[in-house]
Amino acid sequence: MKDVILGMTGTDWALLGAGIAAILGGIGSAVGITIASSTASGILSEDGSKFGKLLPLAAMPGTQGIYGFIAAVLVVIFFDVLGGKIDLPAAIGFKIFLACLPVAFLCLVSAIYQGMTGAAAAGIVAADQPAPALIFPALVETYAVLSLIVTILMLLGLQSAAQAL
Amino acid sequence: MRPPLLKAVRDSVRYGYAVGRVRALETRVFRDAVYERLVDAPTFSEQRRILSDTAYGQHLEGVETADGVERALEAALGEVYALVEDLGLPQPIVRFFRIRHDFANLRARLKAEALGASVEADLDALGTVPPEVVAGPVEALPDHLRRAAEEARAAIAALEERAERTGGKVPSRERLDAIDRVVERAEHAELAEAARASRSDFLREYVALSIDLANVKRVLRARRRGVALAEVEPALLEGGRIPRAALAEAYALPLEELAERLASHRALRGVAAEDLLALDRLDVATDALAVRMMRAGRAVPLGAEPVVAYVLAREAEVRQLRVLLIGKLAGLGPDDLRKRLRKVYVGRG
Repeated sequence: MKDVILGMTGTDWALLGAGIAAILGGIGSAVGITIASSTASGILSEDGSKFGKLLPLAAMPGTQGIYGFIAAVLVVIFFDVLGGKIDLPAAIGFKIFLACLPVAFLCLVSAIYQGMTGAAAAGIVAADQPAPALIFPALVETYAVLSLIVTILMLLGLQSAAQAL
Repeated sequence: MRPPLLKAVRDSVRYGYAVGRVRALETRVFRDAVYERLVDAPTFSEQRRILSDTAYGQHLEGVETADGVERALEAALGEVYALVEDLGLPQPIVRFFRIRHDFANLRARLKAEALGASVEADLDALGTVPPEVVAGPVEALPDHLRRAAEEARAAIAALEERAERTGGKVPSRERLDAIDRVVERAEHAELAEAARASRSDFLREYVALSIDLANVKRVLRARRRGVALAEVEPALLEGGRIPRAALAEAYALPLEELAERLASHRALRGVAAEDLLALDRLDVATDALAVRMMRAGRAVPLGAEPVVAYVLAREAEVRQLRVLLIGKLAGLGPDDLRKRLRKVYVGRG
């Protein structure tokens, strides 16, 4: 009998998890950067001298896309998909899929909120306030980092389990 | 219903650029210190010098008369409205600011008509309708102005008919009051419609607050003069947070209790009954409410609110400058000018 869950093999599930992590992280980053950049562009169109302070605010939501990408690459490397291994057990593949969900969804949502926080913090830069504008969006970053750590830990555990088979 | 995150994303993308520009521009809105310098300036030329590096400088160059100041301030305000159009905001928001100038022009035209005076020179070009159209035949006016003009004419005709029956004449004051009432009601209805179309809760709340403030002032002033409720009630505007029925019901109370009742309403939170009772503090107290609302709008990180708050702040700035510049040209001293200033700035003081 073929080893599948819901009609998908273990490798299918693993690749689906990796893909979702990369896609949702990327979407979140694209939206977050769009939001922060729109506000930054508005400020820059009136005061070009603030480019240096605004760039990190606009770029910061981009990290979630990188985290999603890292998670996807780790799946490919840890489970030797690059080496052509395409026979993961369905149970392991499904667990890999589940392990990818924290980074996928948290990066999607946190990047969007980070973009909004960055746009609001850009107001601090526009008003020439001495307060460090980067702090608030950076606080949002914490949870994206934590989700990546959770995903990596789960993937490491699953890698050990897969090797033990 | 749209999920909150999606709505937040839509608003952030739609208003992000506009908010960014406004964040940079609002640092140039005048603080109290600038007004103080303008008040203390010994001459109009000195005031002009103080303003030379601001958005008003180029428009005030070479201006020596009150009429010139009016035109210069109109041009500066025109730039603010042009900016709002440039920012790509939804059309109802852009329209919201200009509609009030349409009705101000219409009011001037109807009053001039009632007094048999000429009006062309007094109309500004900041509305959605060109001044020459407002001054032209009523039939050629756009719907929102035509309806108000016809209603005002009908109200004056009714007054004349009544006066004819008693063999008297309608005093000019009554004609002008009738025009004010009709135009004010039409203006607020149109503003409420624009606010509704803009889908901005903030604009809707702003219109409701304006209506409440206009009604409260009207009720208090009429009650103080002992005017009968039957005369006041038709002039009360619809659409405020304080229902007209509640205002009419409270009108029977003694003045002090009326003020207490109004001050206790949620819409006027923060206003003391004593402020409503004192003639010299009423305007300041009600202005403070509007300023508080603008401050709240300015604090919204992304959305139409900061842009609306900025435009209203610039309008308030123009009103202050008009008082200060024309007052100085008319020979008013610093103390007189200071008394006429209001606390209007919505940013840091």
